[in-house]
Amino acid sequence: MLVKRKGSHFMKRILFLLSLSGLLLLLSGCWDRQEVNDLAIVTAAAIDKKGDNQVELSVQVFVPKSLGGGGGQGGGSEGGGTGKTTLVISQKGVNVAEALSMVQSELPRKVFWGQCKVFIFGEKAAKEGIQDHVDFLLRHPQPRERADVFVSEGKAKRLLELQTLLERDVSEAIREQAKLGVGMKVTLQDLGEMLASEAQAAALPYLKIVTEKSEEVSYQFVKNFATAVFKNDQMIGQISQRKTRGLLWLKNEVKDYTVTVKPKDTKGGISLNPISVHLDLIPQIQGEKWKMVVKVQTEGSVIQNGTNLDLNNPKSLKMIEKVYEEDIKKYIESTIGQVQHKLKADIVDFAKEFHRKYPEQWKQAEHRWEEVFPEVKVNIYVDANIQRQGNINESERRREEKR
Amino acid sequence: MEKGKISSLQMAMLMYPTIVATAILSVPGITATYAKQDLWLSPILASLIGFVTVYIAYKLHKLYPEQTVIQFSEQILGQFAGKVLGFLFLFFYIQTTGHMIRAYSEFIVGSFLFKTPISAIIVSMTLLCAFAVHGGLEVVGRVAQLFFPVFVIPIILLILLLIPDFEIGNILPILERGIMPPIKGAIVLSGWFAEFFLIIFLFPFLSDRRKGMKYGMITVVVAMMTLVVVNLVVFFVLGITTASQNYPLMNVSRYISYADFFENLESIVMAVWIIGAFVKASLFYYVTVLGTAQWLNLSDYRPIIWPIGILIVQFSFWSLPSTMALARFDFEAFPLWGLLTQTLIPLFLLLIAVARKRKQTGSKTS
Repeated sequence: MLVKRKGSHFMKRILFLLSLSGLLLLLSGCWDRQEVNDLAIVTAAAIDKKGDNQVELSVQVFVPKSLGGGGGQGGGSEGGGTGKTTLVISQKGVNVAEALSMVQSELPRKVFWGQCKVFIFGEKAAKEGIQDHVDFLLRHPQPRERADVFVSEGKAKRLLELQTLLERDVSEAIREQAKLGVGMKVTLQDLGEMLASEAQAAALPYLKIVTEKSEEVSYQFVKNFATAVFKNDQMIGQISQRKTRGLLWLKNEVKDYTVTVKPKDTKGGISLNPISVHLDLIPQIQGEKWKMVVKVQTEGSVIQNGTNLDLNNPKSLKMIEKVYEEDIKKYIESTIGQVQHKLKADIVDFAKEFHRKYPEQWKQAEHRWEEVFPEVKVNIYVDANIQRQGNINESERRREEKR
Repeated sequence: MEKGKISSLQMAMLMYPTIVATAILSVPGITATYAKQDLWLSPILASLIGFVTVYIAYKLHKLYPEQTVIQFSEQILGQFAGKVLGFLFLFFYIQTTGHMIRAYSEFIVGSFLFKTPISAIIVSMTLLCAFAVHGGLEVVGRVAQLFFPVFVIPIILLILLLIPDFEIGNILPILERGIMPPIKGAIVLSGWFAEFFLIIFLFPFLSDRRKGMKYGMITVVVAMMTLVVVNLVVFFVLGITTASQNYPLMNVSRYISYADFFENLESIVMAVWIIGAFVKASLFYYVTVLGTAQWLNLSDYRPIIWPIGILIVQFSFWSLPSTMALARFDFEAFPLWGLLTQTLIPLFLLLIAVARKRKQTGSKTS
């Protein structure tokens, strides 16, 4: 009797363990099981206009074989898999979704968007409006809100086909460059916010292919060149590289950037790197007059001094700071001038600032913001400080003169 | 029938995920649709319903300390009317449980497991809850206690990691279009806070009944604060686009990115959501089963766990053809439906009960 009971207890345990291990089968996710080697990982996508009503979607797909899977160091020298790390496939369709299904039909693996961090709109597509395409990108569960969005000169597909030397592929190169803060950096989330904003304007970084030629080789690379300006969802123009810098000041996105100023009455110039930037946009409404006060506070360090000025002398330091301020102001002014009077698109989002501070007045101006915006008077105040002067404390030119 | 006891702290830990789990995912989007930048006010206004509901539940409990609402409504209204009301409550809870399990599964299928048939997810969740319910109230309470940190810590972590992406100015100007928009948002949200009425099924089984009211109120406050914070965080990051997102909290969690590799944290949201949904569904399921057994005057509730489970699965499909229909129900029908059955009807019950007691004591003394 006792033995029998013990036996059933043992059987119970075995059954329990068996049923527990049965649960392991569920861990793979069953229907949604996706193996990495069944995925075509998209690293960048380009959307172009083709013909009248067609959209061309090009995807850059990562080729895992190219990394010499497990081959290690040897792979590089023999150039395994002819060295191409990516593959570009493009197809046409009525919209992005349809083009995507056509792309899928050409690939043996399932298209996977989760790693796609670069979306590029061709100029023509941008000019005709991007709302439609953005709907797909925001609705589809896979593309990331943090992916960067760009506009390219001409066809965007050409960019994807470029070879890169420094980075693994073009998408990486574009993204890393955007991160450095040379030009604007706009994520998909930012774009969605801009398109929904009251300013009814958006700005995206504008890419261009540049060719570097030496005697033996010519090398093409992508440059974060300028800024594409959108009104509603249509591209209406662009801001030059120079003026993009002014825009970076206004958007508080200045990062890697060198200012070279030439003080009066001296030879040569002096170069500064802004270290920290603080920006205040203060809207003011006096009677019928709308005014925007832009206050920039920045600290910089000297990286090259070609003048004979002594930075240890407070007087000349003040003088340089003054010139530095003037220079920043000039940049911002020229950008604002173009944005306000030529493009008439509120890409700096003054609308938001006015709305937040003056909700009452905003309500009346809301629907005619397009007319109000160019009339807004902009006052710019720059306060610049020079904090550091690098490893030497006297300029070479000055030393020479002293001798 | 139920011999287990739980502490009032366990009750709080049971109620908190029950209210918050489903709310944090979709509420920022829903309230933003109405209230725009004032969305953080809606939970504060809606929490009034929570306080009132807990108060009504506690007062009713004081009058009939050993019984649940299914039992004492017969004493208040008479047997026939009491049974009809009991049926209404049970119908509400079966339907709501089915509805919330469907909402849970829609999120999983729509965001993560695209190809998995939705019935697989619904059935597996119901099955899991059935096991928990089979264990009784004590087990459900313990499970909630066990999962509480797993539920709360990731949410706090998520919020902390998002701080660099905050744009605090997004909430300005405050109350631009008056108080009405946040009130509209609060009306939708009040359906969630009305769910605090579940607490009436737990009061009789508390080991420390005196603290019941206190912990109930604390739970309302904490749930309200959580929703305010989550609404704010989402709006700080997403701005006006919050209103167009179905699951804003998930979008926000995907936005976290540190050092190029610490990113794509939406799986945290999924884990939190599954745990929360499990606690919520288990509690609803338990209440339904217990109530039905009491309604039918059974001696044990365990035999009807399976039949009720089948009903719950059925209700998660009936009259809900799509996610859009599900959302429309949340927006249009549920606020009124939830408020009516869980706050207004109990309020009438309480009024009648008080009047009856007065009459009784009045006739006794005279």
